[in-house]
Amino acid sequence: MATSEELLAELGQLAGVVGPVFAPSGSRELLLSLTETARRLFGAAACSIALLDEETDELVYTTAAGAGAEDVTGMRLPASQGVAGFVVQSGQAVAATDLGRDPRFARDVAESTGYLPQAILAVPVSSPRRMIGVLSLLDRDASRPGAERDMEMASVFAEQAALAIEGSAAFADLGRALLAQLAAAAAEGSTLAATASAAAEAAGPADADLAAVAALLAELGRSGPRERRLAVRVLQEFLTYSGGRSPRPAR
Amino acid sequence: MRVPGISAAPSREWALGGATGAGIRVALVDSGVDVTHPAVTGLVGPAVTFSWDMEAEAVDRVEGPHDDVFGHGTACAGIIRAVAPECEISSVRVLGSRLTGRGEVFAEGLRWAVESGAQVVNLSLSTGKPDFYGLFHEIADRAHHAGVVLVCAMNNVPAPTYPSEYASVISVAATDPSEDDVPLLCAARPPADFGAPGIDVSVAWAGGATMVMTGNSFAAPYVSGLVARLLSKHPGLRPYEVKSVLRAIATNAGA
Repeated sequence: MATSEELLAELGQLAGVVGPVFAPSGSRELLLSLTETARRLFGAAACSIALLDEETDELVYTTAAGAGAEDVTGMRLPASQGVAGFVVQSGQAVAATDLGRDPRFARDVAESTGYLPQAILAVPVSSPRRMIGVLSLLDRDASRPGAERDMEMASVFAEQAALAIEGSAAFADLGRALLAQLAAAAAEGSTLAATASAAAEAAGPADADLAAVAALLAELGRSGPRERRLAVRVLQEFLTYSGGRSPRPAR
Repeated sequence: MRVPGISAAPSREWALGGATGAGIRVALVDSGVDVTHPAVTGLVGPAVTFSWDMEAEAVDRVEGPHDDVFGHGTACAGIIRAVAPECEISSVRVLGSRLTGRGEVFAEGLRWAVESGAQVVNLSLSTGKPDFYGLFHEIADRAHHAGVVLVCAMNNVPAPTYPSEYASVISVAATDPSEDDVPLLCAARPPADFGAPGIDVSVAWAGGATMVMTGNSFAAPYVSGLVARLLSKHPGLRPYEVKSVLRAIATNAGA
């Protein structure tokens, strides 16, 4: 029978392997459902979400629904070109019709996906922390009632996508931080310490603030249930307070 | 409506009649301008490119002609040119290079534009990063006190964006084109100040093309063009007076 230390080690290893696979793109099913819902609601031929890869300065199409979805998924395009590139760079939503008249757009995107759109509506996917990417709708039905508010409505979808992606990323970061703490807490040289440390390292550097949060949580776990409940209430009060404040960061 | 320092309620004739934008420079902080596009040609001011130097970890500035990376700057220049045919357009390119350092590049480009001698600065871009709140506020205030009119496109995103939400700038949202010869609307609620044509408008694009596009970013240059015309006829107006005059001559003035 496996000891609890061996089980923990396996868990650490699993988290190290599985975490990075799921974390960067957010909850895949949720994003896929979101693009499919948007596609239907706007009567569009296709809907996609592309995430900004800051290392390579490319837009990576991680989620797509509708025409050409299979070819679009995984596609990487420079963030310095096209309507989608302009949207992530400027932070401005843009819609264009008659795309066939922009020869560069038609060649770059349409030929690689096998679908030649006539119209695009693209909105930025962003959080206060960073520019995440772009949500694009191709050939939406602009004759439906209420279509004049499509840009505003698409921005609401983009915000949901941003929340899903950022939530998932924060969870993964916290997971990494916890793994690092676990490694530090375990006895030096033990299998658990080595495994957890390796998993944390493989998953990339943890955010320093999150590491501190993880350390506090680990310490809190050792206190009694009443203390834990009080701590949760204090945290909730703090989040309510900080959520209500307008951003006035010091320079 | 009375405007401080102006003896009578300003009419469109008083504000814009016969004005062409001559003698006024509009700095366009965007993706560059294709000066060979037929919709743009005319008086073209200095061009400068800002980008992020990865090694030095600082903003790099190169003066001299450049092209338009996306086509968007050319679109905005075409709109400004159509409204104020004789104004000078100066291109400050801040888009098109890597996304890294985007906020810093954007801020330095804006600062340069404000101090460049231009009377109007058009900004069809924004940032939502709270880290830049103070920096952009300082630049927007500096422009306001120096008498430089900042015209910013509003953002559709639900969260705040800068500098389009500051009281010191003129913020513009897109509306449907109308029959009015000055299709300018007072916005129903802040932080948007005005609505201007930006839905399904025909715009110039890179490579000599013309596109039909929608976005607040196409409404802002319309207002920048109007401001250039107003200032060419009434050069002494301060930014807050410009805002008041625009409000007085809007389609729904007094509504």
